[in-house]
Amino acid sequence: MTRVDLAIIGAGPAGMAAAALAARQGLRVTLLDEQPRAGGQIYRDVDRAAALRGDLLGPDYTHGATLTAALKHSGVDHVSGAVVWAIEEGFALSYTKDGRGAQVMADRVLLATGAIERPMPLPGWTLPGVMTAGAGQILLKQSGVLARRAVLVGTGPLLYLTAAQMLRAGTPPLALVETATRSDLLGAMRHLGGALRGWRYLLKGLGLLAELKRGGVKRHVGATGLAIEGLARAEALSFSAGGKSHRIACDTVYLHHGVVPNVQAARSLGIAHDWNAAQACFLPRLDIWGQSDVPGIYVAGDSAGIGGAKVAEEAGRLAALHVAQAAGRITQTELDRQAAPLRATLARERAVRPFLDRAYPPCPEALAPADATLICRCEEVTAGDIRNYASLGCVGPNQAKAFGRAGMGPCQGRYCGLTVTALLAEANGQTPDATGYYRVRAPLKPVTLGELAQMDQTAQDAAE
Amino acid sequence: METDYTLIGGGVVGLSVAWGLLKRGRTVTVLDGDDGSFRASRGNFGLVWVQSKGMNQPRYAQWSQGSAALWADFAAELGDATGQSVPLEQNGGYDLHFSEESLQETVDKYNVLKEKLGGDYPFEVLGHNALRKEEPHIGPKVVGAILHHQDGHANPLQLLRALAADVRRLGGRVLTGKTVSRVSKPDSFRVTCEDGTTVTSAKVVLAAGLGAATLGPSMGFKAPIRPQRGQVLITEKLPKLINRPSLIARQVDEGGIQIGATNEEVGLDDRVTQPGLSGLAADAIAAYPALAKAQLVRSWGALRVLSPDGLPIYQHSATMPGAYLVTCHSGITLAAAHARLLPDWLEGTEAAPDLEVFSEQRFAVS
Repeated sequence: MTRVDLAIIGAGPAGMAAAALAARQGLRVTLLDEQPRAGGQIYRDVDRAAALRGDLLGPDYTHGATLTAALKHSGVDHVSGAVVWAIEEGFALSYTKDGRGAQVMADRVLLATGAIERPMPLPGWTLPGVMTAGAGQILLKQSGVLARRAVLVGTGPLLYLTAAQMLRAGTPPLALVETATRSDLLGAMRHLGGALRGWRYLLKGLGLLAELKRGGVKRHVGATGLAIEGLARAEALSFSAGGKSHRIACDTVYLHHGVVPNVQAARSLGIAHDWNAAQACFLPRLDIWGQSDVPGIYVAGDSAGIGGAKVAEEAGRLAALHVAQAAGRITQTELDRQAAPLRATLARERAVRPFLDRAYPPCPEALAPADATLICRCEEVTAGDIRNYASLGCVGPNQAKAFGRAGMGPCQGRYCGLTVTALLAEANGQTPDATGYYRVRAPLKPVTLGELAQMDQTAQDAAE
Repeated sequence: METDYTLIGGGVVGLSVAWGLLKRGRTVTVLDGDDGSFRASRGNFGLVWVQSKGMNQPRYAQWSQGSAALWADFAAELGDATGQSVPLEQNGGYDLHFSEESLQETVDKYNVLKEKLGGDYPFEVLGHNALRKEEPHIGPKVVGAILHHQDGHANPLQLLRALAADVRRLGGRVLTGKTVSRVSKPDSFRVTCEDGTTVTSAKVVLAAGLGAATLGPSMGFKAPIRPQRGQVLITEKLPKLINRPSLIARQVDEGGIQIGATNEEVGLDDRVTQPGLSGLAADAIAAYPALAKAQLVRSWGALRVLSPDGLPIYQHSATMPGAYLVTCHSGITLAAAHARLLPDWLEGTEAAPDLEVFSEQRFAVS
């Protein structure tokens, strides 16, 4: 079995930057990634798509090509199409690739598993024709597909960006329906003072908004009472805004209200997490190098806390440097010397977070959905069911899972985890920290029994 | 004194006993643990099982048979009361064999037990072809099976939820998130929790699973129980593939195929492991080859609550009269007996079942 100095999960900005730097320091590095090509979500398919659709996707996207290029020349063992389904102490990483099970052993592991879109459970959100704005981005980046007669709903810069891209492509959305209010944005302004970079983001956002206005895209802010109507599929979005009721007939609804760390891998290792009120999600507890309370396990990029692509890149490098030092490749002095400029960039990039968190808060109706709204789409469990389980003594999500199957489906609780914690915390009058989170176990991603069994065979053969 | 009984433990065992006591008009307080406690009630395999139990102690076989016989009525009553059915199938179950020798060896043992039970041990032996008629997806490596007609399976999580709901509906007081730190008996019982909560009662039943090992000695019990890890797999929901359950696999009422289970002496470690999961997957595919294509969606490890001989322990404390230890490995199978029969034993009525062989006497140092 292969044994490497560092195994990295995820070939987004954090994983790619960390891999290239660690390899340059002489470490044996394996980079496992689910996608056929490096890039992660933000730079998805950048090597192909930058050439085809670079103008549409913008320079922030094409920057990813510098990372993929560095990765290519680094000598890193980049295993694409690898779906990691278990990480055990030691560390043993089990994954499948091309229908076969495999394993790599590593002295240290960097989890760079990125973010997932914060689920937005609203009435009707499980109807065909409803997807996340991120899913829309995947379709655009990978296949150049854009929906017609679409409404964008939620909050945050990705919503503006998606709208602008649709406009540029000649299929503008029917409307942009924002759940954030003007006062959210005004309140956020006071966080701009110390953050020069915040202005860049603000101007970029304003630039996108101006572009949308010029393009005639209708915009509503402070929308409440959101519901997607339709029997067999999405037919309309209804909501209230500006003191009036609205109903927009449409074929597609893009939902988005921010992203949250994908903590499945970290949770499966039992790493301590803490509730972050500003981002309304759990974050892994890490030291200044990104190392967790499980020695040898590092987390960087959005999976450590939403910071965006630039933060991910530098945090990945920081973790890689620390691994290099721990493995005896560089001295403490060298570590500190190389880390200093990375920390400076990180501080600059992170300074904008309070502004963004305040300007684009998650949609309150989706954080505490009405009783009838489905919150676990795999097992069709409603918010009311979860509140009922609280009344039956469920103090945490694992007992609620046993009672009502929320989190038992193929998504492994990714989509309902935060909602279930929030609902139980509210119903029991406890903090999210005291309420806790799902106990995440293998498989992190579905794996077939055949693939599992074949690893049993491999082990037997090796022993013979 | 707040209630007649305090049940230390809010899993299937504690709640079954509490439910039975409430049905008799007793008042109860149930102290349940927190979300991360080791909970066999959440991790068990869900069989209502008779065969292979009590091979060396026919009374245990009888006790399991008795509970299995009470199960349908018990489940129906819970279902009616809560409006949520507790799925149960008792159409028999298999012990699958991959060699003629092991099959014959087991049949011989069953015949010995059957005689001790006066013939009440309804099983038949199916060769490969006969088994294939019953289970079209059985693989060629399975040489045969013992079909025991008293076996079956239930949805253990629905049972847990129904008990939790009905104990409350019947007026039981259930306190969750509690870890009991001390039990004393100045006159009546005082049970103190780590968070400072104190409850008082005339009697106490210790049904805390593995927790009884630490609490038991202070209450006059030996409580020689240990954890044994079982890893379990469950697949995506599939069309009907398996008719009757076995110790290897069963198709649950929601459609997934549940596959079990390892037997590992690893202490209080309920993690899953790749070798454990791979081994289980290989066995399941040997039994049902079609499973090779099935997606695994979940796995878990749970800790069995085992006594040295695997039998339940029912013990009245000698040093703390009114304190009872109730612990077993098969809380699902025995749930009906615990609900329907154990209250008589706790109350000391004439109808009390004879549980002498399950006392801690058997662990006396000779």
